[in-house]
Amino acid sequence: MAKEYLGEFEELVLTMVGVLQEEAYGAQIADEIETRQQRSVNLSAVHVTLYRLEDKGFIKSSFGGSTNERGGRRKRIYAVTNTGFEMLRAIKDSRIDLWKLIPELNFKG
Amino acid sequence: MKEQDIPKWPIKLLRQVYSEHFLEEIEGDLIQRFFKDQEKFNHNKARRRFIWSAVRYFRLGIAFRNRKYNTPTQINMITNYFKVAYRVMLRYKAFTTLNVLALSVGLTGALLLFLWIQQEFSYDQFHTDKDRIYKAWNRTTQSGKTEAWSSTPRILAPTLKEEFSSVESTTSVAQWQSKQLFTVGDTRLLKTTGIYTTADFLNIFSFPLIKGNQNTALNEPASIILTESFARQLFGDREAYGETMTLGESGYSFEFKITGIMADLPANTDFNFEYLIPFKFLESIGENDTFWGNNNLSTYVKIKEGADITTVNEAIRDIKKKNYPKDPNAEVFLYPLTKMRLYSRFENGVPAGGRIEVIRMLIILGICLVVIACINFINLSTARAQRRAKEVAVRKVTGAFRYTLILQFLCESLLITFLAAFISIAVALITLPFFNQLIGQQLSLNFDQFNFWLIAISIVFVVGLMAGTYPAIILSAFKPVKILKGAFSMSVNKNFIRNALVIFQFGFAIMLIVSAIVINNQINHVQNRASGYDKNDLIYQPLTGDLGKNYLSYRNDLLSAGVAISVTKTSSPITQRWSSSADIKWEGQKPEENYNFERIYMDDQFSKTAGLTIVQGRDMDLSKYLSDSTAVLLNETAAEVMGFENPIGELIIDNGIEWRVTGVVKDFILTSPHAKIEPMVLLGSKASWALGYVHIKLNKANVIQKQIEQLAELSEKYNPNYPFEFEFVDVEYQQKFSGMKKTQTITTIFSSLAIFIACLGLFGLATFMAEARIKEIGIRKVFGGSVLTITKLLSLSSLKPIFISILLFSPMAWYSMNWWLQTFTYRIELGLGTFILAALTIILIALITISSQTISAATRNPIKSLRSD
Repeated sequence: MAKEYLGEFEELVLTMVGVLQEEAYGAQIADEIETRQQRSVNLSAVHVTLYRLEDKGFIKSSFGGSTNERGGRRKRIYAVTNTGFEMLRAIKDSRIDLWKLIPELNFKG
Repeated sequence: MKEQDIPKWPIKLLRQVYSEHFLEEIEGDLIQRFFKDQEKFNHNKARRRFIWSAVRYFRLGIAFRNRKYNTPTQINMITNYFKVAYRVMLRYKAFTTLNVLALSVGLTGALLLFLWIQQEFSYDQFHTDKDRIYKAWNRTTQSGKTEAWSSTPRILAPTLKEEFSSVESTTSVAQWQSKQLFTVGDTRLLKTTGIYTTADFLNIFSFPLIKGNQNTALNEPASIILTESFARQLFGDREAYGETMTLGESGYSFEFKITGIMADLPANTDFNFEYLIPFKFLESIGENDTFWGNNNLSTYVKIKEGADITTVNEAIRDIKKKNYPKDPNAEVFLYPLTKMRLYSRFENGVPAGGRIEVIRMLIILGICLVVIACINFINLSTARAQRRAKEVAVRKVTGAFRYTLILQFLCESLLITFLAAFISIAVALITLPFFNQLIGQQLSLNFDQFNFWLIAISIVFVVGLMAGTYPAIILSAFKPVKILKGAFSMSVNKNFIRNALVIFQFGFAIMLIVSAIVINNQINHVQNRASGYDKNDLIYQPLTGDLGKNYLSYRNDLLSAGVAISVTKTSSPITQRWSSSADIKWEGQKPEENYNFERIYMDDQFSKTAGLTIVQGRDMDLSKYLSDSTAVLLNETAAEVMGFENPIGELIIDNGIEWRVTGVVKDFILTSPHAKIEPMVLLGSKASWALGYVHIKLNKANVIQKQIEQLAELSEKYNPNYPFEFEFVDVEYQQKFSGMKKTQTITTIFSSLAIFIACLGLFGLATFMAEARIKEIGIRKVFGGSVLTITKLLSLSSLKPIFISILLFSPMAWYSMNWWLQTFTYRIELGLGTFILAALTIILIALITISSQTISAATRNPIKSLRSD
């Protein structure tokens, strides 16, 4: 269904938003990526990607609560839109279809 | 997790570029990370990561997106104002045209005047060391009158240099305008534009030499420096430097070597010459003038650096008195070169003004024009306020602050001013050649000069703001409630300021009209003044080349051919004063009486040729009285001044020669028709060496054209080497008025401009008034008012301020015109008639301007104006 293609990082961030649900905001997403994937990620790159995704309509944002940790500033919580879920499903399906065809990746023990 | 650990400046930096609203989530994230990092790593690493992350936010992807979240800044609003202003201008086309037209007329006039004034101030300001260069002046007191003049003797320059250590260098500059013939191969040119000077001239003044060494160019006697264009006239495309050429003057010719080519003189200098010859040349042919009484050239002095001019003046003051005891009160002083153009009029021996007075008038005129245009703008804008009321109300209701509205209206006025300025520059460019011709200058618009644009833009802003502030304030003060309720109407009669402005505008116009009329009358009056001699059919020729030698044969041929009825030899043309003497002694002269007499030498045919009237005694007649070669005629003023009971037979002594008075002639005008007649002595032909001009009275019976041809033939016959020249006396006499005529033209032009602007304003006001009173007029008509009465009513109310301005400003006009007329001895009296004429003219013009509006308002169908649906 998705005519456009997502970049690697965009796909990663979009997935993360889907994972984190209520905690899906810039700093948290960046932390999660760092912990789970062991790659260091710049905060501003995450934000730019979030904006791009929002412009493309895959996620939407709203203001969340503010905490002392953040110097009293509110967070902007992102959530995946229906289009976003469509996109994720499409990506997942296309990836799995391709990977299935690689004999070495087939069910290891 | 302490607040103060967070580095402040990256946040501040971010806030400079992005708006706070947008930054909230970003900052929050950065801070959260920072605290985490503080715990995970250490404080310093956390800081570094914080700063690095913050800096990475300055990227295009965010900046562009940022716009969506940006609150509109001031700049955005201003672009909106200009957009709206542009639309407003298009919506009210008539109003805009009126405004722009009036402003551009005013600005064009001011621009032209400004260029002129700037040029005048720049005269001779380009010389390096100009602050050390001075011109030498004489000052003396005779018979209780102190006079100062800038003609000095030849010997002053070398004396000053020798005797005073604070003097660095001096030069004498003689501009005798003698006719000199230049021969190079086949090219022969007659020129009078030469100066004699010394070698230091090139070092004192900044007239660069294109070819030649300025230190040695004038060392040899037979050397000459030409200006570039003159060299081209003589030599064509050939190189002139190093060539030789022949110079001829009254029968003699000499070879000169061209030792220098000078760049053409700029327009803004009082010097006007095409070639320079060193004084050494004159000395080499035996003319060495060391007489302290011969004041016939200019002396310029450059004082040493650091020398104080007052001390120098003190030191040199008595130099003339020492060497010329005949004048015990003689003083010499130095006057700065930079003041010579504008401040060179002396009265009673002290500086009393000069051209600067004219310049001041021009400055006032320029400012007046701009002020009138601004007043116009203010008037028209406030008159239009009614129309904009709804717009203002709606804007206020939707949240505009008062100052927002003011800004908006200021943008409107700025836009109009920009447009007007643009038009006025274009118009000025087109009319500049005509203007140049009119004032005899070479002005130009220097678009590449940075200064020009700076001044232009600042003037646009100043004018735009000045003109726009008041209307902006008025318009933004509207109360939305009243307007939207419909109960709002600008009171037509609470127009104090508006009326005051109109009065002011027309006041200027009145003063200008009065000036134009007075100048016109003065010119006519002076032109009609009896010149005292017969100018018609009178011509004069210089006795160049062999003409002097062959004078008698020439004369005989002229008379016998019937070309002339009278021919005479004189020392100078009858239209110019070339000689004067303060040295004349007569019987019964009191010792302190020392008058300046104008002096002309002539033969016995002069009175007949020129048509002078002898009122006492007899004319000179060499055929009857041989002794008449030492005869002298006095003019009436001279006879009076000398105080003779019976001047006939009295002796006067001039230049060591005794002259006997044979008659008194009626006063005639030699120099200026505006001034009073000076005492004059007409000396006989004993001084035959001085007689260099011939005056010829042509035969009235014949056609002038043929006579000139015959004259040319005869002249060529007796003077083949020199081109034929002559001047008509009546034509040259008319030129005495050219200065005044120029003033007349300029005044007329600028008064027309001012009146035009004022009328535009009046037109706009009348339009508004007619509109504002539509209902009133409709009701009047319904109740039986005729078109005529209504027209009268409207016209009268429009004309009221004009009447007031006439009353208020006429006395001022009278005062200033009187002051101007005082400068002329021969002048008209200011009569009431002038003012009545000016007043009527203005009223007439005003009536015509508003007539179209008042009549159309008065003839409007009352049904249409009273219906409200």
